[in-house]
Amino acid sequence: MPSQVRMLLHELAARGHRVPIGTDLILREKPDSEEILYHADRLGAVIIEAAGKYKTPLGLPLMDLTVEKQAMLTALGIPPSEAQTFHFSVDSLPEPGALAEFLAGFRPETDQRMTAQAHAIRYVAANSDLLPVGMAIGPFSLMTKLLAEPITPVYTAGTGATAAEDEEVALLEAVLDLSLGILLKYVAFQIEHGARAMIICEPAANRVFLSPKQMEKGSDIFDRYVLRPNRQLRSLMAARGVELILHDCGELTDEMLRQLVTLEPAMLSLGSSRLLWEDAAIVPREIVLFGNLPTKKFYSDDLVTVADVERMVCELESRMRSVGHPFILGSECDVLSVAGAEAIIRAKVDTMLTCRCH
Amino acid sequence: MEAQLQELAQAIIDGQRKTAVELTNKLLEAGATPKTILEKGLIAGMNVVGVRFKGGEYFVPEVLVSARSMKACMEILKPLLAQGNVESRGTVVLGTVSGDLHDIGKNLVSMMAEGAGLRVIDLGVDVTADKFVQAAKEHDADVIAMSALLTTTMIYIPKVIDALAEESLRDKVKIIVGGAPVTQEWATSIGADGYAPDAASAVDVLLDLVQQRRASR
Repeated sequence: MPSQVRMLLHELAARGHRVPIGTDLILREKPDSEEILYHADRLGAVIIEAAGKYKTPLGLPLMDLTVEKQAMLTALGIPPSEAQTFHFSVDSLPEPGALAEFLAGFRPETDQRMTAQAHAIRYVAANSDLLPVGMAIGPFSLMTKLLAEPITPVYTAGTGATAAEDEEVALLEAVLDLSLGILLKYVAFQIEHGARAMIICEPAANRVFLSPKQMEKGSDIFDRYVLRPNRQLRSLMAARGVELILHDCGELTDEMLRQLVTLEPAMLSLGSSRLLWEDAAIVPREIVLFGNLPTKKFYSDDLVTVADVERMVCELESRMRSVGHPFILGSECDVLSVAGAEAIIRAKVDTMLTCRCH
Repeated sequence: MEAQLQELAQAIIDGQRKTAVELTNKLLEAGATPKTILEKGLIAGMNVVGVRFKGGEYFVPEVLVSARSMKACMEILKPLLAQGNVESRGTVVLGTVSGDLHDIGKNLVSMMAEGAGLRVIDLGVDVTADKFVQAAKEHDADVIAMSALLTTTMIYIPKVIDALAEESLRDKVKIIVGGAPVTQEWATSIGADGYAPDAASAVDVLLDLVQQRRASR
């Protein structure tokens, strides 16, 4: 029996629902947008306002993938001003015992941004009929933010080198475990505050960070480093009756997509490099496909015009109808507000939501 | 010696760092000049890597392990090249612009440009206009290469170009831009001299811009 969330998503798909991941656009209209990030009720109100503007029953939160790294490093005593540029190295990683102790003591409620995000979900649940949705970066993508150069150790591991044999592989695996530990707590925290679906963003699970050549030759790096930790998040959600919405706007190979769908998300959100009507052959019908207008280019009329948006909407909807796969038309990623281009982005989002195809 | 140089090139192509370092040391012991090892071993290998990357046969991870192998060999050769007054093919000041912390593309360009024999001054990420200007002056840069991954940060690139103009440097240095949201049209519209959609193409454009800059001196 499909969950209520799955049924809702399929209903929306059947109705031809359109929605961008666009809460940031609404937030940035506020003069004190940075302050709102720390204020749960006001953040929740922005989520509700965004849903109203986009006429969606989905309470989509901000897709800010800097929150988890910042929270983790602050808890480790790294000054906030250094957090975004900080990377672990073989020499700087705490001993395994210290890491385990740190993880055991990590509490999302001590971080202001994590608290605001979770309490905003509670606000949405209490003050609207929207589906309260949570958001977190995925473990693999968080790990890539914590290492100065994560690609080579992933590749080295793909050649068969183990953590015992290669110190960079050992570092990668320790940081991945650390990332997963933080995320298990953060996701649980959001669920405790009312999230009924969780968007997990794994944009780094792509062919830049993981070699398609190695995968073709039979390496299990994608399973080991992307799927296994996500399976643990998935289990946590499943145990609490929460659905997974998986977002990966990175460039994927077909094989990567095949592996991602084994996580059985209720909805899969992909980047504009994918042709969703072809992906429908890979993705089971139980999974609603979401996306994938090239919203990262909406800031420029040279790249995408309003007319282009209309044409793309119509083509995408028409092709998805032809293949008969459950589909919600949306953005390829968070639609970010770009200074100086706010009006043209808004015009394109409006077109995406309202244009009629003949 | 030719055979060993070919082996070295192959080690670079295969990303075999330890083998490449061993071969570099062996070649030096056998009397090969650092310049020969650089050109016929390392650059030759990286050229193949660039071709395979452009052709879709190699992906970023393969390029990175090859580039890291080359870098390890360059650590051995650099002091020797400096002693021998071997000139680089040009100087590139490189960075991800202010507000942007993404560095994969920038690092790839850096390593592949070094692999092509260019001297690279890598300013890192979140680089302000002032830092670009200072580095261009200090290192007599032929080219400034700027990267941005986000639409929200690419708008800083024109500010760097303006800062160069204010310092009367704009005519003295070439500019190349790149990054996911950047296009040829946009690069042209902001007055950049070059644009590349990927790291391998960037190296070709960099070499071309260096030539243009030196020809116009």
